Amino acid sequence: MTTTAPPGTGALPVPAAPPTATPGRLGRFRAGGSGLVFVLPFLLLFVLFLVWPVVQGLWMSFTDSSLALRDTAFVGFDNYAEALGDPDVWSSLGNTVFFTVISSVPLVLVALVMALLVHSGLAGQWAWRLAFFAPYLLPVTVVTLVFTWLYQPDLGFANQFLGALGTDPVGWLSDESVAMWSIAALTVWWTVGFNFLLYLSALQSLPSAFDEAAALDGAGAWRRLWSITLPQLRRTTVLVAMLQVLASLKVFDQIYILTKGGPNASTRPVLEYVYDVGFTGYRLGYASAVSYLFFALIIVVSLVQLRLFRRED
Amino acid sequence: MTARSPVPAPPPEPPRGLTRRRLLGTGLAGAGALLGAGTLAGCASPASASGASALSVWDLFQGGDGMLMDDMIEAVSRQGRGFDVDRTILDWGPSYYTKLAMSAAGGRASDVAVLHLSRLAGYAPGGLLDPFDLELLAEFGVTERDFTPAVWARTKHDGTVYAIPLDVHPFIVFYDKEAAGKAGLLDADGELAPMGSPEALLEAGRGLAEATGAAGILFGHVTDTAQSWRQFAAFYAQTGAAFTLPDGGPPRIDVDAAVEVVSFMRRLFDGRTNPDNLDYNGALAAFTSGRGGMAMLGEWELPTLRKSGIPLGAAPFPQVFDRPAVYTDSHSFVLPHQDDPDPARRREAHRYVAEMIKQSLTWASAGHIPAYQPVLATPEYAALTPQSSYAEAGKAAVLDPPNWFTGAASNFQNRMCQPLQSALLGNTTAEQAVRQMVREADALLKQPNPVA
Amino acid sequence: MSATAPPLRPRRPAPRDAAGSPLLLGHGRLPRVLAGTALVVLAVLWLLPFVWAIATSVQSEQDLSKPGLSPVKGAFTLEAYREILERGNVPVWAFNSFLIAALVTVITVAVSTLAAYGFSRGTFRGRRALLAVTVAAIMVPPQLLVVPLFRQMLLFDLVDTYAAVILPQVVAPMMVFILKRFFDGVPRELEEAARSDGASEFRVFRSVVLPLSRPIVAAVSIFVFIGAWNNFMWPFIVTNDPDLMTLPVGLATVKDAYGIQYAQAMASALLAALPLIVVFLVFQRRIVDSVATTGLGGS
Repeated sequence: MTTTAPPGTGALPVPAAPPTATPGRLGRFRAGGSGLVFVLPFLLLFVLFLVWPVVQGLWMSFTDSSLALRDTAFVGFDNYAEALGDPDVWSSLGNTVFFTVISSVPLVLVALVMALLVHSGLAGQWAWRLAFFAPYLLPVTVVTLVFTWLYQPDLGFANQFLGALGTDPVGWLSDESVAMWSIAALTVWWTVGFNFLLYLSALQSLPSAFDEAAALDGAGAWRRLWSITLPQLRRTTVLVAMLQVLASLKVFDQIYILTKGGPNASTRPVLEYVYDVGFTGYRLGYASAVSYLFFALIIVVSLVQLRLFRRED
Repeated sequence: MTARSPVPAPPPEPPRGLTRRRLLGTGLAGAGALLGAGTLAGCASPASASGASALSVWDLFQGGDGMLMDDMIEAVSRQGRGFDVDRTILDWGPSYYTKLAMSAAGGRASDVAVLHLSRLAGYAPGGLLDPFDLELLAEFGVTERDFTPAVWARTKHDGTVYAIPLDVHPFIVFYDKEAAGKAGLLDADGELAPMGSPEALLEAGRGLAEATGAAGILFGHVTDTAQSWRQFAAFYAQTGAAFTLPDGGPPRIDVDAAVEVVSFMRRLFDGRTNPDNLDYNGALAAFTSGRGGMAMLGEWELPTLRKSGIPLGAAPFPQVFDRPAVYTDSHSFVLPHQDDPDPARRREAHRYVAEMIKQSLTWASAGHIPAYQPVLATPEYAALTPQSSYAEAGKAAVLDPPNWFTGAASNFQNRMCQPLQSALLGNTTAEQAVRQMVREADALLKQPNPVA
Repeated sequence: MSATAPPLRPRRPAPRDAAGSPLLLGHGRLPRVLAGTALVVLAVLWLLPFVWAIATSVQSEQDLSKPGLSPVKGAFTLEAYREILERGNVPVWAFNSFLIAALVTVITVAVSTLAAYGFSRGTFRGRRALLAVTVAAIMVPPQLLVVPLFRQMLLFDLVDTYAAVILPQVVAPMMVFILKRFFDGVPRELEEAARSDGASEFRVFRSVVLPLSRPIVAAVSIFVFIGAWNNFMWPFIVTNDPDLMTLPVGLATVKDAYGIQYAQAMASALLAALPLIVVFLVFQRRIVDSVATTGLGGS
């Protein structure tokens, strides 16, 4: 943005012949402008609002930094030692992993089924896409408001429906053994559209030659699905699953709004524990330590996934 | 833009009208101006700009209390010089207290907020509250003499007053007057007679059970995160033993007294005369449908109980040990920390608090005992039944032991309730429960105090 | 799928799109009927919460307290909408959401596009290292930075300002990476021509490269906008003043004196949902593309 104004020389000719620049320098900046100036605004923001907090968070995890207005002291590895021995860290980690499993599996499978069905070419492509993808566009609070009402113990749709079937009402969000499943169901409804679109666009870019050949050979629809289409989607599935697991591990919003981690901390994920000890409990330093332990775990998961993915290639 | 095809058309002559670059420039400049305005002016939204003089107040009251608070705000806004009040209600509990602390740390908090007095120790020492100017309050007609010493003592940190109490809201007993009459528990005035000993309360339970043909005393505690602590704290304080929480631990708890209290609670809620496995709403429903003669509840359930139509009586929490003690808390007004308070607004905030406290007769209709004694002394208050029956409860007020992690809706209360619940359900002995409570308190005290 | 085949990867094979894929189902009737049924069942399940919410929002609280499975329990009324709009919080939050999402989008796209081009064509020292750091930063989940970021905002005295909500959201290494890969694929001959004619680097970028990049810039913009509009955790943490809250944060945080009123809750939910649903209806094709491009762009 600080580049000098172009010389007012009028129109530039459209190149008639291939340009004659040195091959090695083709398309690079001239010696005078190295391009750094293009990167600078990003770099400034990157350093201020990403590098700084990453470094500051690491530093804070070794201090007793507090939300209250008082001085901070260095405490060495105290926070990390405390975190590793804190049963709430482990139980919230357990909740997070449990949520990741029960949400990721349906989020991949349902998305795949939806995409295959829509791709099968029935009329109304536009409408199906809208129906499945629209929830993804909703802000989290809209989703939680609607589901709070659906899950409402007395008059909500879910229990009214059970009542109509003659079954006892369920404490969708108040029963410790049910609440996480209710949240997973909400999450599938809300976010499956994203995976669905990824699958759909993968399906649409598959080469159809195999399929056609197999059809000519008289292979049935099921057979072609199992032995041609699904194997072709393997790479997409690995990718979708990778992205989904990472997204599910970072769950906070819908759980915080719906149950605040309850009942009895049975749905509290790690990120909410970070919020609870850091902001509700003022202990920003300790919360940073818990964050960084979780961060390490996420990096390990990402690296393992990358390896697996590379092997897939 | 002119270039639409993949082959670039000649770039347009530089300064002809509004180029994209200039557009981008102005856009960014505009964005920058907006950001800057937001940052510099401190208040950065159309809403706050339009209501620049409105006093912003925060509280956590919904439902019955929420509507009464609306009535009180409307009353003070209309009378005298009036106020322009911008009220914000947040969810009761930890989410409210978290936001209150974060806004105070940020230095742009509301002008006035409601705080449970039991939580003062988590706010005042950390610089999250600003002190009241007592001279200014006196100018608006509110002084220390207007409150009971037991409550006033809890408004201070290091000798400075940080909170002005609106009410005292004790954990009391409600009873069915008919059943209590049948069981012979009423005095000459038709009020619940004092108990005086553990045996007397056990006996009362048996009498009430007989009178109702169902349960005697109802108490909902299963999965509740405060109820069993409230009851334990009341009985424990009645033994005269101390419960203090010095930073770093260990907690100073009289284990023998605590075991005596928990054992008594187990005897009282034996699962036969008095059920031991009710949750909060279960106990409430049983009482309102006449399936129990007495219920141990917070006075704030008064409006709900009144609607049920049972002949309702109320009394301070019964004294069964050596001295009177009632577990209470107190909604109070505080001034959340502001980095740069405007003196005129601060003055208005003091005036607002004083005027609201004078409105506490309205507040009392929900069952709360006004902390402002001149209201308590009025004939209008004396005429409120059953509120006036337990007005004395404020004098024997016992709040949570002060520390940064205790108080209403705190993790501390929750962690005290878990072992108590196990003991009441018969899963552990009284000794085990008390040992667990000591361990939990010790673990909390071992955490570095973030406000000290 | 990925952004590696610029400038304009062929959209999808048109004939297949129009006719669907008869091959997948074969020519039998049965698979067609089965697939159709499954699709309808799924769509009904997915639309049911919307139907229930809409029906709830246009009835009175009293009618809603009647039991029953039918979503329609009483007379039609727009009372809930009227009350919400009168109380005034929702319009303020909607304004904040628009302002914040728009500014985040403009700044992110401007900054990321420039940076991506600089990384793609630049010769400055340390370019590779900086790029590597940027790519590595994609792995940093922003949710794990809320604690130090809040501390930082306390330090800058920005808690409860628009700036605090916006600034941390404009750093998008993923978008820089996606754009950079796109620019890498843009043939450089075009720029050389302009360059050899003495155009400044910025001018080359603006009048040669940007026009070729419209689809990807649109995709990134849409993606960033949706993300900012729906962002919850950071705005929730850094705003306490209700007048500064976005729609998702305000609706989740601020209560009213009467307790939960479901008709009003559903009405405000629907009002908050409306803008992006409309955007989707208008830009359906682009949004679908942007999800595909940016969602798998990192692959």
